[in-house]
Amino acid sequence: MEFRNVSMSYERDYDVLKDISFNLPSGSMHFLTGPSGAGKTSLLKLMYLAHRPTRGEIMMFGRDVAKAEREDLPKLRRRIGVVFQDFRLLDHMTAVENVALPLRIAGGSGAHINEHVEELLVWVGLKDKMKSYPSTLSGGEKQRVAIARAVIRRPDILLADEPTGNVDPEMAERLMYLFVELNKLGTTTVIASHDNGLVEKFGSARLHLVGGKLLHLEGTGKNRN
Amino acid sequence: MRNQYDFLPNENKREATKLLPWVMAIMVYLSALAGTGSLILHSGFDDWASSLQGRVTVQLTGENREEMSDQSSRIQETLRATPGVDSVRPLTEDEIRLLLEPWLGADNITDDLPIPIMIDVETSDNIYVNLDALESKIRQISDNVYLDDHARWLDDFLRLAYAVESTGLGILILILLASVCIIIFGTKSSMSEDKGTIEIMHLMGAHDLLIAKAYQNRFMKYGLRGGIIGLILSFITVYGLLILVQNLSGGFVETPTLPYLKMSLLLLFPLIFAALTMITARITVMRELARMV
Repeated sequence: MEFRNVSMSYERDYDVLKDISFNLPSGSMHFLTGPSGAGKTSLLKLMYLAHRPTRGEIMMFGRDVAKAEREDLPKLRRRIGVVFQDFRLLDHMTAVENVALPLRIAGGSGAHINEHVEELLVWVGLKDKMKSYPSTLSGGEKQRVAIARAVIRRPDILLADEPTGNVDPEMAERLMYLFVELNKLGTTTVIASHDNGLVEKFGSARLHLVGGKLLHLEGTGKNRN
Repeated sequence: MRNQYDFLPNENKREATKLLPWVMAIMVYLSALAGTGSLILHSGFDDWASSLQGRVTVQLTGENREEMSDQSSRIQETLRATPGVDSVRPLTEDEIRLLLEPWLGADNITDDLPIPIMIDVETSDNIYVNLDALESKIRQISDNVYLDDHARWLDDFLRLAYAVESTGLGILILILLASVCIIIFGTKSSMSEDKGTIEIMHLMGAHDLLIAKAYQNRFMKYGLRGGIIGLILSFITVYGLLILVQNLSGGFVETPTLPYLKMSLLLLFPLIFAALTMITARITVMRELARMV
């Protein structure tokens, strides 16, 4: 994933992201850090193709996705898993149905899907919550359903926006180990977080945003630019 | 992959479209009533018009009843001798009085009233009768004879029939347009209710068509369900009204007959409305989604 001089604005005269450039090698793991309002969520939106940049190029999957035709976007999005800060689970679906959603969208059906989904839910520790609706799940349980949904199709890129923001420290650490495991399987992972303790503990490289500008920092916290 | 997947919430929990089947039922009900009314009128107009075609009325006026009677006999002979005239029948005085009663009142038709002699003539369908020539011929017998082929009245009548049918068709078109507007509104409201779900579907790689199919299938069911209810209610109403007319008329007014074959077209209304809701919902969803990234 490579960003080349990317800027983005929601309103005409104000850039929330300013001339961002970086290159994330395939299979790498990065934290995306910065104070509130620095543009972390906006940068993630560009990564998961929910928004188009105002300027610049975004190279993913061997093409500039910033200029991709609208009809090509679904195919590209299926290669990206996203864990949203507010989970964004569908309230009218059970945990199993929520996790199966990406497979159903891709045209899958039948018992094979359920088997696969149930296996993953067992892996994230939700064996007894498979038929539960999101409204009956705790914050940590919802987060794990959201993570299972993001990884069910073994995406090439996994993006997580404050995935530990709604859970206790113990659960936060467990979830982080889950991301590390997924990264070891070859998934390029970007985790937005403002939890410096967690970032220090896991010591991955980090992308640090301040006021919409990017400072590329290593896990030690030293500015490389 | 262009598959089908109903990801929408259970329809009972949806505020935006909960009443849509009932709105569709009302629309189909009104459409079916407008359609039935048009068909009954069309059928009645056809019957009346065909009963008047091939009929000519000869009217003879005057003050001297004996002279008029003599002239009537000669006119009848002339008419019977004319090729293409099937039957000639003078109306009895009682029949003429019955015809005049609605205009003059029963008690006002006195013996000294100069009642005309009227002759009902039936012409053949196969042989052409030159009515202008025939009128000239009987005018030689009396200057006070008139031949009425009802053409002018029939023209006015057919114009009225056409206007009534056009109005019926106009009402149907208006109902269809109103239905389309309601479906567009319902679809947009429904999409607004599902905004979060649609966003998630998009971000996980759902094509617009997959989302549109879920809506079109849902709305097609609303249209079909509402259509069947509306049609049943309209049939109940029509038969109820017919029974009412039969009971009220007591033989004085002819009960309208239902053109069953043509009315069977009304059975297509639920299908037409189901297709209308399906297509409208699909187009609306596709257009709304095209505005998203």
